[in-house]
Amino acid sequence: MSDIVVPARPRSASPSGWWGMAAFVATEATLFAVLVGTYAYLRFQTVQWPPDGIAAPKVTLPIVLALVLAATSVPMALASAAARRGLARRASALAFAALVVQSVYFGIAVHQFASDLDRFTPQQDAYASIYYTLLGADHAHVAVGLLLNAWLLLRLATGLTRYRVVAVQAIAFYWHAVNVLTLLVTACVLSAAL
Amino acid sequence: MTTVTAPADERVGRLELIWEERPGVLGWLTTVDHKRIGLLYLFATLAFFLAGGVEALLIRTQLAQPDSHVVSPGTFNELFTTHGVTMIFLAVIPMQIGAFGNYLVPLMIGARDMAFPRLNALSFWLFLASGCFIYAGVFMGLAPNAGWFDYVPLALREYSPGLNVDFYALGLIFNGVSSIAAAINLVVTIFKNRAPGMSLNRMPLFCFAILATSFSLLFALPPLTIDLVFLELQRLAGFHFFDVAHGGDPLLWQHLFWLFGHPEVYIIILPAFGIATSIIPTFARRKMIAFPLVALAELLVAFIGFGVWAHHMFAVGLPTIAVVFFAAASMMVVVPSTIQVFAWTLTVTMGRPQFKAPLLFIGGFIVFFVLGGLSGITFAAIPIDQATTDTYYVVAHFHFIIFGAAVFPLLGGMFYWFPKVTGRLYHEGLAQAGFWLTFVGTAATFFPMHVVGLLGMTRRIYTYSDDDGWSAYNLVETIGGYVLAAGLVLIALNLVWSRLRGAPSGRDPFSGGTLEWVTPSPPPHYNFAVIPRVSSPYPNWDAEDRAQDVRNLDRGARVFDDGHEAVASTVKDGYLDDVLEMPSESPWPIVVAACVTVLFVLVLTSHFLAATAFAGLAALALAAWHWQEPE
Repeated sequence: MSDIVVPARPRSASPSGWWGMAAFVATEATLFAVLVGTYAYLRFQTVQWPPDGIAAPKVTLPIVLALVLAATSVPMALASAAARRGLARRASALAFAALVVQSVYFGIAVHQFASDLDRFTPQQDAYASIYYTLLGADHAHVAVGLLLNAWLLLRLATGLTRYRVVAVQAIAFYWHAVNVLTLLVTACVLSAAL
Repeated sequence: MTTVTAPADERVGRLELIWEERPGVLGWLTTVDHKRIGLLYLFATLAFFLAGGVEALLIRTQLAQPDSHVVSPGTFNELFTTHGVTMIFLAVIPMQIGAFGNYLVPLMIGARDMAFPRLNALSFWLFLASGCFIYAGVFMGLAPNAGWFDYVPLALREYSPGLNVDFYALGLIFNGVSSIAAAINLVVTIFKNRAPGMSLNRMPLFCFAILATSFSLLFALPPLTIDLVFLELQRLAGFHFFDVAHGGDPLLWQHLFWLFGHPEVYIIILPAFGIATSIIPTFARRKMIAFPLVALAELLVAFIGFGVWAHHMFAVGLPTIAVVFFAAASMMVVVPSTIQVFAWTLTVTMGRPQFKAPLLFIGGFIVFFVLGGLSGITFAAIPIDQATTDTYYVVAHFHFIIFGAAVFPLLGGMFYWFPKVTGRLYHEGLAQAGFWLTFVGTAATFFPMHVVGLLGMTRRIYTYSDDDGWSAYNLVETIGGYVLAAGLVLIALNLVWSRLRGAPSGRDPFSGGTLEWVTPSPPPHYNFAVIPRVSSPYPNWDAEDRAQDVRNLDRGARVFDDGHEAVASTVKDGYLDDVLEMPSESPWPIVVAACVTVLFVLVLTSHFLAATAFAGLAALALAAWHWQEPE
């Protein structure tokens, strides 16, 4: 091994920020695994699921919504690639496109959540408790993602730095994770309609 | 090739200027230096260790004699609960990860700081605040009182109406945030910040142990956090997770708790393994035997730890097939543990051991680890487990492990790295006396508990009658407890005295093998003037590489003094990958921690709207933090 080798080539290994997000996503995924596990655990303790007095969840709208959200992984991935190539404008435009769709998703999801609350409350029984906790945890992760994207757009407005390139990569990674988790949570919640 | 003309000491002077932090208290509040943060962790955890120790002595005083009423039954419940919570969450784990991990990992891997220095500061301030949060409850007479594992239904609002359990649950959620941040930081630091040349197979075993611990934390804390969130949703907002009447299940609490709780045991013991594998080669004067096997065994212990949780629940009436599965899985832990015991003992016997204080503590560690491990195997035998559940036999087992096996290496490590941190030598004779006092004290305190447990004395019992036949054992245990405390006081006095009056130690008083001994004692802010060259797992024993470092400093190679610079390497092979500009001191971590603290206080007092406002403030502070880019 020679002593001074500062690579002139473009970086090949993932930066620390990416690894940090990977570790964070690992722990958040465990969190959701525990929530989904609890859902299954409670379900198989009970004969009637959902219990009498609570209608089974609607199927079509949540699936469409989750797929629309999942589709925002594409602009986020493209934004990340653009940032690595130093294209600040392009990265901004893609992240903005994603943010618009994500915000619409979030608005409808929160509206659905509120209208569910009119029909039954989390205090009703264990089904309602885990239903709202699971969805609430997922929506909270989407909300954090919206804040991250908004912050990112603010920063990208004044151009790219090495720090911001890593930020785009890490935030895109976060969104991929949230999108996958949303699909899983949706599937879990809809299993009650089977 | 950089061409440099300045002489070596000019370069060192420039590094000093670049890496210097603000002096005084303000410097400590805004510091991002892993060594300062490590020391902050050390002093905070020592304070909590003292509190937990006083609680232990009060418990032992209450139990010294039959029919005793030194404290009231309610206080006794608070004492054993707070003792457990303090020692596990506020003393031992943060001392291992926060103090030893923080201080030593970057030094051992030849890095200038952690991967995320500001996040590191945030971990500490959140940890300190969570500890103060729990202890605020203690001082207001609202100490946690439902046992450290806080079983429902006892912990539900109906049976524990006070805020005691809320202090526990919210305090531990709070504490968990800090631990997750620390674990992420350590994983990334170990992956990315190793000195070029330190491929994974050349990484010190201590770092393998910390890596395994950090991964365990990442996967073990979410079940606990979710469990505590469920508990608080049920207590504060009337949700139903744990009550059968509304479709919940009290066993859900136990499953989730032990899904965290058993990996937690290995989280406690793994850094102890790491310290042992640092001290043994130095004082046995040879490399660790079976180095790759020991590294794999450390990782394997952490992994198997996730498949054994239900052996804490053999007495609750699980299906037989589940019980048998978990019994078999628990037996498997024996394999990696035994590999390590043989590797440690063989390294000592096949070397030329010098039994100085640090190695003596490791000897004590091995004795207690084997004894506690042997009683541990008995819990994998289902009938024995069911008969001894909730007796003092269990208390004896886990104190041999958590005190004998986890804390002894911490004490040995304090002596071993004392010269590195302070630049002074400790007093060897007093240190050995301290070892023997704590060793005898530990054995006298915890060994009779096995017997008295088998005689039927139950855990958490407030008092007992002389007719039970437990009195003599209990008196011996209490006397042992005070001997143990005397040993700890002697150790503390030795360290304080040596800090003030100890002889200068120089860079490397014990001829240690790992990189922390390459740099001066105490290490400068930038750790290494030259990023060291590494070609084996014991780089300080590679004289040619160290001579090359000196030549490199003269030539200005691998010095990286153009700014606040550190190097990043590739994850597996440790090839030089990038030169990073590191963040400097920042006020934002402590501001974020303050906002989060207020948030938790407001949740505790059910001011949810105001709590949301402080969550927003924390988010704003985070935005401000990331506005300052290290360029």
